[in-house]
Amino acid sequence: MGAADKPGDLVQGTLDMLVLKTLARGAMHGYGITEFIQSTSNDVLRVEEGALYPALHRLELRGLLASEWGVSENHRRAKYYRLTIAGRKQLAAESEHWNRMTAAIALVMDTA
Amino acid sequence: MRERVSVFWLRLKSLVLRRKLESDLDEELAFHLAMLAEKRGIDSRRQFGNAANVRERCRDLWTFAVLETLWRDLRYAIRTLAKTPAFTMVAVVSLALGIGANTAIFSLMDVMLLRSVPVKNPQALVEFVRADADGSRMTNLPYPVYDYFRRDRGALADVLAITPSDAAFQDTASSQPAAAHEVSGSFFPSLGVSPLMGRTIGPDDDRAGAANRVAVISYAFWARRFGRDPSILGSAMRRSGERFTIVGIMPPSFFGLDRGAAPDLWVPLATDPDPGEVWVLGRLRPGVSVEGARVQLEPLFRQALESMRGMLAESAERERSSFLSQRLLVNPAAEGTSGIRWTYWDQLSTMKTLIGLSGLVLLIACANLANLLMARSAARSREIAIRIALGAGRWRLVRQLLTENLTVSLAGGGLGVLAAGWGHRLLLGFLVRDPSGVALDFELNYRVMTFGLMLSAITGLLFGLMPAIRATRADVYGAIRSGTGQKSAWNILLAKGVLAVQIGLSMVLLLGAGLFARSLRNLGAADLGLTRENLLLMDVRPAARSPQARQQFWADLTGRLSVLPGVRGMALAGDAVFGNGGWNQTVWIARPGQPPQDSHVSMNVVGPGFFATAGIPVLTGREFGEQDRENAPLVAVVNQTFARRYFANENPVGKRFSDRRRELDRYQIVGVVGDAKYGSVRETPQPMEFQPVGQRAALDSSVLHVRTISDPAALAPSIRAEIQALDSDAVVSDVRTLPQIVRGQLRQDRMFATLASFFALLALALGAIGIYGIVAYRVAQRTAEIGLRMALGAQQRDVLWLVLRETLMVLGAGAIVGIPAALAAARLAKSLLFGLQPSDPLTVVCATAILFGVGTLAGFIPARRAARLAPTLALRSE
Repeated sequence: MGAADKPGDLVQGTLDMLVLKTLARGAMHGYGITEFIQSTSNDVLRVEEGALYPALHRLELRGLLASEWGVSENHRRAKYYRLTIAGRKQLAAESEHWNRMTAAIALVMDTA
Repeated sequence: MRERVSVFWLRLKSLVLRRKLESDLDEELAFHLAMLAEKRGIDSRRQFGNAANVRERCRDLWTFAVLETLWRDLRYAIRTLAKTPAFTMVAVVSLALGIGANTAIFSLMDVMLLRSVPVKNPQALVEFVRADADGSRMTNLPYPVYDYFRRDRGALADVLAITPSDAAFQDTASSQPAAAHEVSGSFFPSLGVSPLMGRTIGPDDDRAGAANRVAVISYAFWARRFGRDPSILGSAMRRSGERFTIVGIMPPSFFGLDRGAAPDLWVPLATDPDPGEVWVLGRLRPGVSVEGARVQLEPLFRQALESMRGMLAESAERERSSFLSQRLLVNPAAEGTSGIRWTYWDQLSTMKTLIGLSGLVLLIACANLANLLMARSAARSREIAIRIALGAGRWRLVRQLLTENLTVSLAGGGLGVLAAGWGHRLLLGFLVRDPSGVALDFELNYRVMTFGLMLSAITGLLFGLMPAIRATRADVYGAIRSGTGQKSAWNILLAKGVLAVQIGLSMVLLLGAGLFARSLRNLGAADLGLTRENLLLMDVRPAARSPQARQQFWADLTGRLSVLPGVRGMALAGDAVFGNGGWNQTVWIARPGQPPQDSHVSMNVVGPGFFATAGIPVLTGREFGEQDRENAPLVAVVNQTFARRYFANENPVGKRFSDRRRELDRYQIVGVVGDAKYGSVRETPQPMEFQPVGQRAALDSSVLHVRTISDPAALAPSIRAEIQALDSDAVVSDVRTLPQIVRGQLRQDRMFATLASFFALLALALGAIGIYGIVAYRVAQRTAEIGLRMALGAQQRDVLWLVLRETLMVLGAGAIVGIPAALAAARLAKSLLFGLQPSDPLTVVCATAILFGVGTLAGFIPARRAARLAPTLALRSE
């Protein structure tokens, strides 16, 4: 994918999870998602559009997201994405997996 | 799974909505870039390359690579096929005929055997059948069976009875008869069909003392007779003077339960004082199986038969016990009553022959297609080799060739399915006397579509795959180097083999066509034992109810018609001289020193002058005259077979027989007449006896036989007018001439002869094309060799022979395969032939001669071209 070469970029699976988590707060357009992830992570995580849009479309194809056209805060036409029920389930599963993994990694790191 | 399905739909949608998706994506990205510029001041132009990359990656998500290549292959296939219109046309049209013929027959089977009747829950309908000890089955049950079945409270939710009305109906405006079905009051409510207008017949109408006689008419009858005039509700139909008020009109989709006999109207069964035998159907209660219903109803069936014991007192012991030992059978009737299957589809051989004929056509079309495709790939071997050399994958090439072959077969199949509608109606026209009276319309339903398209897909795969694989096995180096395609490009031995098989199959069709055509001619010219020309028959039923009035009607009618100009002779009879076969009767014949024996014979009741009118010769004794009336001694006339079988060498005139077990000397034989055919052209003469009209109860209806001086059809209107003048309510129906009856009986034979001839012609044409193609190719291939031979002194004649020899070898191989196959097939159709053997030598010789004649001609054209080549030109072609 090449996106993971630069520091601060995200590997695909993690990006999917972050997108799902972000949308759990409500419907959002693509730019809003990048803004949110970037600001919430204190600018550590940057989402490139080259990775974001294919990810959004892929998640939509998998039925985890649904999209519709709406009007943005600055009165432009924008495509809004929201979680489907399948998306919510997927998010729950991924969060649980993530928590287990980080806890396990933390255990190993602390012991050493 | 669901995810995969939704991905599939999205991709399918993206295929159609490509533009929309692209513009959506562009807009989405534009928004993103605009936001970036607005919020962070990033120059959107710097992002341009990135955006193109995003677009590309999103697009890949949507599309199907496979579908797109398929579409490309398809377009390429259509382009290349359009470049060779002659090839495409021959391949598509021959396949269309093969698939069309098979689909038409399938569609006919579909409508007769598979399609459900359009009524409420047809799956619960069952039909009752009685079977006697020798296993013969009848759907007409004695009326008491219906009466007893109505007492059932366990198995059936409803019992329905239907019977065609003996008497014809007429509307007030015209004397044209209309066919009616008498139905029980449960019929319409149980089928759950609603009328188009008015109401249907209910249980209250089906009572002996019902206040008002009612009738419900069919949509077809309403349209035909009343021009869809809604005001006819409330007007009357008449049956022998009785009035029936029209209370309802049925929708066009409703034809009753018998597709083969859609009536014009329905009336309550109770209006018939003597229903005789009826079809009985039932609607099973939920949870009752067909076999369960049989077990529960069997006792009621027994009781019903026992209740009729008294009526059988006069019958022969054997008949009575065989009647009482009949068993009950129950059949599912979701497809309607089996009436049609029994009438037209009864002879399984009809169906088998049709399937055989159409199957042969398909096989021939397939063999032809296989050869065409192989020749086509051979012609393109250079193109294919170049593509392989340029790195095309073999599988990719096979797929592309296969797409082309499948395109041909599906185009043929599509055309065939469309042609099947026409073929269906054509076959129906052959099989059924009056196609408008049967609800057997062609309907392009999914079953017919699936059948036709599956058939074409299978032929395309089966006969298209092999040539495609062969073509891509080409020796690349050799093919590119040699201009015309080297020897191995077209496997000529294989092609000849396939062609020989194709010719062999054509031989089967040719012999079949010859046999059916000659058999049809024999049937048309067969001796019926009577004079066919200028004989007019019609059924007449007077309105008069009392025997005296009817007697008077017949006497008056005879008086009037005898003096009508153009009439040479006339006679009344209970049954037609030809076409119905007479009534069955048991007679006892006393022989000296032996107990009287009962025998089955046919019988007809005939008036004075019947034999002279029909042209049946009186061999000894006399025919009936005016003296054979009520108080005179009872007399009878027998035919030659009767005389020979029961009186051997003695003179039967003066001998006696009886139709009762006692009174063995009831009838005295006064004459012997020549054997004639009474039922069908194919029958062998049966013993038959005739009794005079004057010594029987006055007939309800009779068949009028008129021998005319000239064209009988021209006299029909004036005879009809005489009848109407005597009794304006009399019903005249089924006006017919002998040739018409014969033609009606030979409908099926004509169908086979026509279809087989048509198919054989087609097979010949395809065979000729095949031979021409191979010989022309061989001549082109051997041009140099021919030039060399001619330069060394070979004559035109020698060259001609060199080329023709190959043609004759293919034809000979075809005949060696084909003649035994044709003879074997003809033996299977033996029962359909009349007056000749399946191995009829003249037909075999003619069929072979035609095959060789046409084949040689097809090979001769390119052979002559080869023989006329200038040797120098031919040599230079190397």
